[in-house]
Amino acid sequence: MRKSLIMMLSLIFVASALLAGCGKGDNSPGTSNTGSSGGNTSQGTKVEPFELKMRHIEIGEPNKNRLARLEAVKKKIEEQVPGLTIKLDGVDSEVNRKDKLRSEMAAGNPPDIFDAFGSPDIGVYAKEGLVLDIGPILDELNLRERFINLDPWTYDGKIYGLPKGGSIEGYFYNKEYFAAKGLEIPKSLAELEAIAEKVKADGKVPFAIGSKDAWVPLMTTNNLWAYYAGPDFTAGFKTGESKWNDPKMVEAVSKHQEWVKKGYFKKGELGIDYNSQRNQLLTDEAVMMYDGSWASSVFNDAVGADGKSKFGFFVMPPLNEGDGLSSMVDSNNGYAFSAKVADDPQKLEAVKTFIKTFFSDEIQLQSLSEDGLLPSMILSEEDLQANANNELIKEIILGMNELEYKWPAFDALVQAEVNTELGSGIHRVIEGVQDPKDMLDALQKVQDEANAAGE
Amino acid sequence: MNRAMRNPLMYTLFLIPTFIGIILFFIYPVINATFFSFTDWNGIAKTYNFTGFANYMKAMGQKEFWISVRNNGFFILFSVFIQVPLIILFSLLIANVKKLKGLYKTAVFMPSVMSTAVIGILWGFIYEPDIGLFNNVLGLFGIDKVYWLSDRSWAMLSILITNAWQWTGFYIVMVLAAIISIPKELDEAAMIDGATGFQRAMRITMPLIMPIVSVVIMLSIAGAMKAADIIIVMTKGGPAGSTEVMATYMLKHSITSFKYGYGNSIAVLIFIFTLIITALYQVLVVRRTERIEY
Repeated sequence: MRKSLIMMLSLIFVASALLAGCGKGDNSPGTSNTGSSGGNTSQGTKVEPFELKMRHIEIGEPNKNRLARLEAVKKKIEEQVPGLTIKLDGVDSEVNRKDKLRSEMAAGNPPDIFDAFGSPDIGVYAKEGLVLDIGPILDELNLRERFINLDPWTYDGKIYGLPKGGSIEGYFYNKEYFAAKGLEIPKSLAELEAIAEKVKADGKVPFAIGSKDAWVPLMTTNNLWAYYAGPDFTAGFKTGESKWNDPKMVEAVSKHQEWVKKGYFKKGELGIDYNSQRNQLLTDEAVMMYDGSWASSVFNDAVGADGKSKFGFFVMPPLNEGDGLSSMVDSNNGYAFSAKVADDPQKLEAVKTFIKTFFSDEIQLQSLSEDGLLPSMILSEEDLQANANNELIKEIILGMNELEYKWPAFDALVQAEVNTELGSGIHRVIEGVQDPKDMLDALQKVQDEANAAGE
Repeated sequence: MNRAMRNPLMYTLFLIPTFIGIILFFIYPVINATFFSFTDWNGIAKTYNFTGFANYMKAMGQKEFWISVRNNGFFILFSVFIQVPLIILFSLLIANVKKLKGLYKTAVFMPSVMSTAVIGILWGFIYEPDIGLFNNVLGLFGIDKVYWLSDRSWAMLSILITNAWQWTGFYIVMVLAAIISIPKELDEAAMIDGATGFQRAMRITMPLIMPIVSVVIMLSIAGAMKAADIIIVMTKGGPAGSTEVMATYMLKHSITSFKYGYGNSIAVLIFIFTLIITALYQVLVVRRTERIEY
């Protein structure tokens, strides 16, 4: 009898421990004890340690400067906010944006601070009340008017995130090779193709590429359709004013496919990842590479025989010389915050301190000088000039200043499922198993469904 | 203790933790997924509409979905007709090896304890078109470069080989355990009767390990139906969707495209297909297998 009683009690204990483990964690202030740097406030009152989880995408060698800046900011905030420990969680950008963060949002449990893309992602999360309205914080810190463009981060008149920097897309190219072969920066698409032919004839790859992730080749396609169909054409897909299967779009995508067929890109591009395309340029296997200005830090250390930057930058030329340069310019990547932060005064204070520290002139200028990351905040011309400290960054800024047409990237303007279908479609076009017209017809169907659903 | 074990209440109490576990981690998710498969839920909204069988109809009408079903089929066929015979062959060889048996067992088992991400990267180097091992070897015979992971004709096979490499060792250890448990007298008697090594393997060992081979086939089928990680790491379903399987197709649509309702319908279809295939295997093969006693 006694044994059975002990067994029953043991069983009840195990069951209650199991159920307690399944219980909802209480993260309210005063009960949290997950942090490690607890301390006392200046008034001498005991402050409970607390932890802030921060998701970032600054992983790998190309992002080492960004990670170092983030860690410095983390240290500063931890010093300023009593009891705070920030736990950094580095995840690949594409995985974070398209898989991990979306699953966490579905579970209603995103990290306190997280790397995010403004449009359309933030709007989807904001609609469900999952992200923090930071308008009051920006007002308190006098930051609201300091940003160049917060449109991608605004939903229903409220601001839900801040861009880390701005970016422009274009061609990084091997200046030494261009000089040796007497090549000039192309002024029209025909000239660009003529250069590609010469490079190919020389046994090199004209355009470095790694198309495993569809957004990489789509940067080129996006610029092509901005020239063929117009810079504002993409904005019309969601409203129904533009159609994916418009003849101009078909022309643009056909041009991309034509370049693939002519061998302008490295063979087997669908199996090559994004980081490898930079290596193609760095190892002189390829001569040009279409990418965002964020990639410039990779080429910072590459110096030619003359001691100057080996690589330069130019914007994709227009169809006809003198038509006006057109490129993607946006500030769609940055940080947003979990709405749950508002329920915890300690966390809210930490987020405020993060915004004040990270979105500062100092970090913006460091980002420009170390990584060529264009500012997302309004800075003085003198500061900009002083920190654009290598030829490549100067060429990127020059490229941006010469632009006649600026537009946001396609993925900021279309619904998630349209983006998914476009990604699959461009892969099929590159592989040559579907012609551009059929791909765009299928894509328009998905667009119509998404528009009809009011997404 | 004996009195306690005769008490039905005690049995019930012992069952409760497992029962709770099954409800929480199996029955509830299945019911939940089935429920949402009939909705247009985007995964994060608080509201959704019931759409009946629209998600299922949509899946059935998608060419990409059927390509992913076909690729799961390739996984099963490769497992059953190529991987399993190799497992049996290597198990027989290792069981009969006189020296360094432990080394062989460890060597074949090693890949199954490695993470899929590591294996994906490792094999990514092997398949690399310019400097990869395979193309270097082929180059010695004057064979042109093969774009293993970026050519539609080769990508699926490349993944199947990698997947087989990862899991073969695990199953070999299972089959080896079965071979070792066969009484030595049977083998010795056959040897005295003049049976050759091949005859003993085919007539003595093989029939006796069939129950465990059956389990290996079942596990391979179940593994093939839920394969996803190796594909995500190696090709992300590419090139041009040619290596997409049902699980990656589901992830792409449910999470990446904010179509949880549709994704759940794919999850339910995976469940149903797996149920049908395993049930068919049970009825057609396992139950007809002769029970062995020794």
